[in-house]
Amino acid sequence: MSSLAATRETTLALYERILLIRRFEEAAYRRYEQGEIAGTIHASIGQEAVAVGVISALAPDDTVFTHHRGHGHALAKGVDPGRLMAELFGRRDGVSGGKGGSMHVADVECGFLGSFAVVGGSIPLAVGVALADRVLARDRVCAVFFGDGAVNQGVFYESLNLAAIWRLPVFFVCENNGFAISVRNDYATGGDGICSRAAAFGVPAEAVDGQDVGAVRDAAARLVDHCRSTGPTLLECRTYRFMGHSRGDPPHGLYRSQDEVAEWRERDPLVLQAAGLEPEDVEPMERRVAEAVGRALAVARSSPPPAVDDVTKDVWG
Amino acid sequence: MTGTLEVRGATFAEAVRAALEDAMRDDDTIVLLGQDIVVGFPFGVTRGLSDLYGPARVRDTPISEAATMGCGVGAALAGLRPVVEVDFSGFLLLGLDQLVNNAAKLRYMTGGQLRVPLVVRVGQGPIGSFGAQHSMALHGWLANVPGLAVCAPADPQDAYDLMRWALTQNDPVVFAEDMRLYRAKGELMLREPPSEVRAHVVRSGGDASVLAFGHGVRLAMQAGEQLAAAGIEIDVVDLRMLAPLDEAVVAESVARTGRALCVSDDPLHGGFAATLAVAVADLAGDALRVPVARLGAKHAPAPYNGELEQSVYPSVQAIETAVRALCGRSAD
Repeated sequence: MSSLAATRETTLALYERILLIRRFEEAAYRRYEQGEIAGTIHASIGQEAVAVGVISALAPDDTVFTHHRGHGHALAKGVDPGRLMAELFGRRDGVSGGKGGSMHVADVECGFLGSFAVVGGSIPLAVGVALADRVLARDRVCAVFFGDGAVNQGVFYESLNLAAIWRLPVFFVCENNGFAISVRNDYATGGDGICSRAAAFGVPAEAVDGQDVGAVRDAAARLVDHCRSTGPTLLECRTYRFMGHSRGDPPHGLYRSQDEVAEWRERDPLVLQAAGLEPEDVEPMERRVAEAVGRALAVARSSPPPAVDDVTKDVWG
Repeated sequence: MTGTLEVRGATFAEAVRAALEDAMRDDDTIVLLGQDIVVGFPFGVTRGLSDLYGPARVRDTPISEAATMGCGVGAALAGLRPVVEVDFSGFLLLGLDQLVNNAAKLRYMTGGQLRVPLVVRVGQGPIGSFGAQHSMALHGWLANVPGLAVCAPADPQDAYDLMRWALTQNDPVVFAEDMRLYRAKGELMLREPPSEVRAHVVRSGGDASVLAFGHGVRLAMQAGEQLAAAGIEIDVVDLRMLAPLDEAVVAESVARTGRALCVSDDPLHGGFAATLAVAVADLAGDALRVPVARLGAKHAPAPYNGELEQSVYPSVQAIETAVRALCGRSAD
């Protein structure tokens, strides 16, 4: 376990945050299978240490954008679990009033500027927020999470370049879970990897074990410091999605072996982070988290649906 | 020159520039993003603004339309009021994902938490043998997107007023500049931004309504002169905005004339003239004496050859012929 995460309090706090995301998404997925949640959802189970490690290294005023698999980033940034669950349920008390859904969650008060469904689509927005911060003399960093699939979108490179030439405080975080749905990253991505692509733009980059929340937090803290003082940086977090891409994709899929999944499950971020903890440390956290998730479900279920009369509200003007 | 009135002659391009200059003086959150905007290439609209307001607010971008548009959206939701310039609408296609999926939808998707006060300036229409990829007119597509407003000014004063207005809005506005108008001259009064934008009846007549915008208004005015000589008096409605549409002014004109011709530079199939024609039919009801007529582009990309190019788009002659047909007064 690494230096920043070494204090016992921090270790416990990081564990509890990972646990909250895990239990929240397990509950959401069950509600989805039971038909209480509509459409589709993308669980980040297995990848939680990336969200928790990176966001724990940000200052409270720093802002975050993410992708379609974004519940973990929302919770890590402090979005209320009840209002997040209510959004998944499509209810009025959801953070986006039931109009966004699982893939379009935002909570501006928390600096969580949103999850986006077009792969790579939020990356240039982070450049714009960072530009506004610079022009308006605000000392903030904008972190943007994207998957390994996004590194083959042109807008990623346009955005890296723009952030580099204007030296903007954008923290690019690539959550490399190895797959763009079913297509392996090592098949789809040419060259020497994601960090070398950032280096080509003069953007300092590091790769880190995305299952080790302490290591993620340490690397993020270094790179965020550089970002704040000097210009954009990139962190590649190597991680793994324990679930399928979405419901149409069974957890063990046709594109990866059960052995591969089992190997990664041994490196579950909860298991790694629990290494320094005693059962009596974990038990109260499990209880608190179970209560929080229970409350979130209660909030979601008791919230009314959005008013149909408001369907064209907040469009323009 | 806010708070002061000044009347002078100006071109359409100078009017857009004056609006940017005046608005930027009043509001230091306005920033300009685009290619070659420091020198103001190719139409001179932004020339000199960098000297006035500095490189932090007038930023040349690399040739990266997607990231530039996305950067504009991100800056807009974080407290700036960006104006993103796209010289030719064919190039806007590279930024369309950011404009449509993000700028237009963010307020709605976030339940009203985020607002995107972004203005996108886009040059469109045929400018004379620039070929198929420099000559598109995308106003019809964009007017179809919930969450975008689309302005299409027809003269220098309109360009000034609409740009000033656009720069006071809290949601995204596409500012469609017909490139054939850049050198067109007219009177220009520098004044405060209007609080709302209504369609204008710019020529009054009782025989037929010609509904047009941008360059189409100039064509319709010329056709109006020729038709008047033949005893046919047309109403020319300058729509000014394609989304939202000023239905009240359209309805009033058509109720008065009972005949309507809709003019647009995009292809007829699925184009803006079709949208307008159906709106007119819905609004006019029993007042229509004959079915609505429309003029649009032929179903072809813009050709290079000048004669071919002219044959694709509505002309003064085509408007005159269409109005005569509506009125049962053929030239023969």
